[in-house]
Amino acid sequence: MSYKQRRRFLWILFLAGLALLAIAASATTLSRLKLEDLAQESTAVARVRCLGTMSQWQRGEIWTETKFEVLEREKGALPGIIMLRLLGGNVGHLHSHVDEVPSFRAGEEVYLFLWAREGEPYQVLGWSQGTFRIARNPQSGLEMVTQDSASAAIFDPQTRAFRRGGIRNLPVAIFKEKLHKALRQENQ
Amino acid sequence: MAKRRMLLMLHKIIATLLTGFYGMCGIPGASGYAFDQIVPDVRQPAGVSGGSACPVPSHHLISPGAIAEQWSTVLGTSPVTILTLDQTPAGRLNEVEQVITQSMAVWTGVSGTTLLPGTFAPVTRTPAQNACGSDGVNSICFDQADGAFSPGILAFTRVITADIIGVQVGTGAPATQVGQILDADVYFGPGNSVITFATPAALPSSPKAYDFESLLIHELGHTLGFSHSAVLAAMMYPFAPAPGTFSGTRPSAQQPGAPLGDDDRTGLRALYPDAADTLNIGSLAGRILPANPLSLPASPPGVTGIFGAHVVAVDAASGAVIGATLGGWSCAAPGPAQFDGTYEISHLPVGHNYHIYAEPLDNTVYPSLVTPATASLCRNPTTDAGWPPLQACVIPAVNTSFTTRWRPGT
Repeated sequence: MSYKQRRRFLWILFLAGLALLAIAASATTLSRLKLEDLAQESTAVARVRCLGTMSQWQRGEIWTETKFEVLEREKGALPGIIMLRLLGGNVGHLHSHVDEVPSFRAGEEVYLFLWAREGEPYQVLGWSQGTFRIARNPQSGLEMVTQDSASAAIFDPQTRAFRRGGIRNLPVAIFKEKLHKALRQENQ
Repeated sequence: MAKRRMLLMLHKIIATLLTGFYGMCGIPGASGYAFDQIVPDVRQPAGVSGGSACPVPSHHLISPGAIAEQWSTVLGTSPVTILTLDQTPAGRLNEVEQVITQSMAVWTGVSGTTLLPGTFAPVTRTPAQNACGSDGVNSICFDQADGAFSPGILAFTRVITADIIGVQVGTGAPATQVGQILDADVYFGPGNSVITFATPAALPSSPKAYDFESLLIHELGHTLGFSHSAVLAAMMYPFAPAPGTFSGTRPSAQQPGAPLGDDDRTGLRALYPDAADTLNIGSLAGRILPANPLSLPASPPGVTGIFGAHVVAVDAASGAVIGATLGGWSCAAPGPAQFDGTYEISHLPVGHNYHIYAEPLDNTVYPSLVTPATASLCRNPTTDAGWPPLQACVIPAVNTSFTTRWRPGT
């Protein structure tokens, strides 16, 4: 293989890798919501810290109520403490489960796109799609944001490669920039 | 010789470049079929808990007619939730019921499982609009304005299981096995100006509607105990085909299970294994261990292998993902789960060659992001007061300190 052929080969592999990453995931339970859709559809957006959870029977189903402290308000008027109600949870010996409904641990910080019908408690818009968890990169110390629904990677057997949609490992500052842009678009 | 060495070096450079490139971009993990799991409550007598703290997948008891489903004939108005070709009241209901029956047959059409066409009792109709609820009756609802819906949610299935036997939900029979599904209800979002669903017969003339059959087959997978799969070709992949389209192949009398992916079939065989099956008895098992054992986390104690790697089996001839699992743990009675790097992909068709690889989750993924595959593996005195320490475990952080490389020639 000549130097020229090798170089061309490497370029082809590099571009193929780029192309694979650029392919958006095709969208069963969920319809795909872009960040702009989340910004537009949400009642409120905020960075919050989980204070605790409690599951109980309400209107014939097990629901989990999660209490959050609001740290930063990005959209909507929110009180300092909010309560979210999500389907599923554990009560007594019963375990009720719905795939894609997020669950939270005390102390965890997340950006949440909230949605509520009038007179009803908040819930997370699009469940895993409206949940953006914050984690500190152990190497850099940077806070990174990952959308719950982005954790579902897709293996394409034809190309033996992975592709995904959603927001993943984005530094908080960049995420906020994208979020503000999406919120500005909503206001226009 | 020199040329060969150069080619080998070139391979290494390419592998390093691609690994580095993909690493930078955070290529995520791809998990295959998965089940919702529950750890039995070993604080209770062994007679009701089984005495083992090993996780048990959600499942149905299998016998003829064991799984009963009713569906609500309230289909909404302006617009109706399910668009049909036949517009007569009776014809509309028949068309919807035909899709329900056919969708069940998709799952019972898989060979090598104990789930047989007779396992589902004949579907029944109910005129109740809000038929779905924790009542011990499996129901499918189309016009129940449940408070859990939000934009972006087309349909969902709520599954209830118990961590001891003897517990019941509503009028259902008490559980005779831990992890037994006691109630599984499918909720379709009530039709509105944005979201409607169409039967296969109506879909061609309803380009803005979602394919009812695809979604129902997926939701029925949940009612059988499946969680989501990240394999694109799997029916349990979580995102719907675009409106007006369907993915895969429609079921037929000859191939009732045609819409399923190989990953779905392998998962079904693992969940409902048929002892008489002689074709799907292949198994790939092993442990994923780091070259340097000191790289394993010191906390929690007892972690002896890499946890949280996705192990994927790909058919060498077709390139299809035949099965995938989240590896890194094993469990033998009386438990708890041991984080020893073990993986096993079972119920694979024999007579095939497979490529297998282990792939890390990304470094900032919380264990909760791979729920329920990992989050339901452990219970301990912190999560459950009075939990016996000898059967307690703590889920370690997902280990990502390794990279995947395709070996040359594969």
